[in-house]
Amino acid sequence: VARLCVCDLLVAQCDANCCCDPDCSAEDFSLFTTCSVPLVTGDSRLCSQKAAVYSLDVEANPPERIFKLIDQVNPSIFCIHATNYKQALYLKSPEIPTPENFDQLLEKFGGATFSAEPDSWNLDPDAKDPPEANETSRYEYGVPVQTEDAFLRLPSPVVSSWCSDANPAGFLVNQATKCIRSVSVEKCDSIQALSMLFYINSSILAVNITVQSIVVQSVNGMRTFLSTGDVLRLPMVLDELCINAVLGVNYHITHTDNGEIIEAAAAFVLGAISREALSIEQSFEISFTQENTQPVPVSGNPGYVVGLPVRAGFQPQGYPFPAALLFAALALSSNKHSQLTILQSTSTQDCLAAQGTRAPVLFGYNMISGCTLRITAAMKCQLLAQTLLDVLTGQSFPEYVASFGNSQAHDVLDWVPITQLHISEQMISHTLQSSCQIPVSLGIEVKWTKYGSLVNPQARIVNVTATITSSTLKQLPSGRERIIPITSSVVFTDISSPAEPSYKAWPTINIKLPFDFFYPFV
Amino acid sequence: NNSSQLSSLPLHILLYVNGIYYIFYFLVTLAMIIYKSQVFSYPDDFLAPDLAVLFLMAILEVPRLYLGFKGNLTEAEAPLGLSLGLTVGSVVLCVYLLLWQTYVLWADVLLNAVLLSAYGLESGFKVTAIAAFIS
Repeated sequence: VARLCVCDLLVAQCDANCCCDPDCSAEDFSLFTTCSVPLVTGDSRLCSQKAAVYSLDVEANPPERIFKLIDQVNPSIFCIHATNYKQALYLKSPEIPTPENFDQLLEKFGGATFSAEPDSWNLDPDAKDPPEANETSRYEYGVPVQTEDAFLRLPSPVVSSWCSDANPAGFLVNQATKCIRSVSVEKCDSIQALSMLFYINSSILAVNITVQSIVVQSVNGMRTFLSTGDVLRLPMVLDELCINAVLGVNYHITHTDNGEIIEAAAAFVLGAISREALSIEQSFEISFTQENTQPVPVSGNPGYVVGLPVRAGFQPQGYPFPAALLFAALALSSNKHSQLTILQSTSTQDCLAAQGTRAPVLFGYNMISGCTLRITAAMKCQLLAQTLLDVLTGQSFPEYVASFGNSQAHDVLDWVPITQLHISEQMISHTLQSSCQIPVSLGIEVKWTKYGSLVNPQARIVNVTATITSSTLKQLPSGRERIIPITSSVVFTDISSPAEPSYKAWPTINIKLPFDFFYPFV
Repeated sequence: NNSSQLSSLPLHILLYVNGIYYIFYFLVTLAMIIYKSQVFSYPDDFLAPDLAVLFLMAILEVPRLYLGFKGNLTEAEAPLGLSLGLTVGSVVLCVYLLLWQTYVLWADVLLNAVLLSAYGLESGFKVTAIAAFIS
């Protein structure tokens, strides 16, 4: 009791008016006015106990503190003579956690509430439901794809061209990266990033990554497709090469339209590293496909995104128009040349040499390109007209353009037919001979509108018109040449009508007389 | 007539007083246990043994007193001996209530001390009576 002091709050400092503070010296006591704690005892109900009494003797000069240890007696007949129950009079000091009792303490006190009684009411420990094992998680665009331990990683160059393995793959973000990794042939079986296991080891939550196909690339660059595609091939040192090293990984993730991942497959390109090579270039790609759809690249979801190619397609042969519109599906091809493309200008600006390279029409980007044509007298007109048409429109000009960025091939009504117009510049000449016409310009006008809600409008193509302007080719005297400019252009026009405001309906007054209002008379 | 009477009068008086005192003791101790359980922190694991001991003592007391009366009046040593044995048990329980109860109040000490001294005196008289009956 002599050591207990309730008012001693400051450590190693004297508290004011605290007579029991051991940090106070005699000079401090002389400055006190009263004792804030005059008596320190145990439980007052005890029959007899020791008590410490502190008081200030103000008569003396300087005032000094008096400390007395007395026996305090409780005269009541119901005073506690003895007790065999430790916690009755003293606070139980808490158990210090040790490695042995930590789990038990955590179980007892780890929750939001705990009872002071010993646990006697954990009668039914089996009542807890086991947590859902297949909790499918839904992803949003751009959210990193989670695996068991971390995220699905797509190695990519970060600051320099060296591969960094910490780049997580975002959901629905199709990425293709190339980076350089430093290797050494001696340690090639210990470098993790060169083995197939590193890329298929972590399973995407409930879905395992399967090996879709393996392509083996030889030292001189020739690639062969392996027929036994799901055998795991680990890198090993053979002769002076390190074979089965991963040179490229292509992930294909299939998801539902709810955003849950249901399938994951990886296609590998394995190659051999020669002894002199200090670094290799690895390429990685990830693509997301919605289940039950063709893996056609979409240009928006659902409205077109500026900068993505305008999707186009053909009606398959043999379907009678228009009855087949309801049943037919459009033949789409991922071949770049049968998409909506325009002529791409080259440095030579020669139309006949420019065949082959075409630029895809990107939504929202007005483009103009052209070339020059040297006409000599010896050229045949019809042949020239056909060649120029090919140059302007490409090998196969599509017939339909997708109205939305993600229009499926089987929704034929979602596709807009391309209207083709032919304008001929009839040069007024006195010779009204039916001279041949050669197309000199192609203008594609795409009319689009904003569709949907005002806060998130989606771009939708409404109308596509391809206008081919032809002009008459005048017969040249032999030996002379002419240079004709050929142009092609794409224009996107926004024809969205302005948003119409709508007003809330005015409140109507609803008055009805009671049924028996005119009682005595009706 | 005194010479042929072996029954001990002091034992009879003591047993009679013991019976009355025991009723008082039982009621007061029970009341105090109820009071202690309200005023102090008295968890169930500690309350149960105390109450059990008290009731056990009450159950023992009835045959003990009856056998004591009967043995003394019929001057038979067997009931008196049995009563003596039961007294030993009662003494143990009384000592428990005096020393090893959860809360021993000053009143508990007084009551149990008086009861113990009564038991002691009784035992002394019973032994004397048995000795007188045997011989």
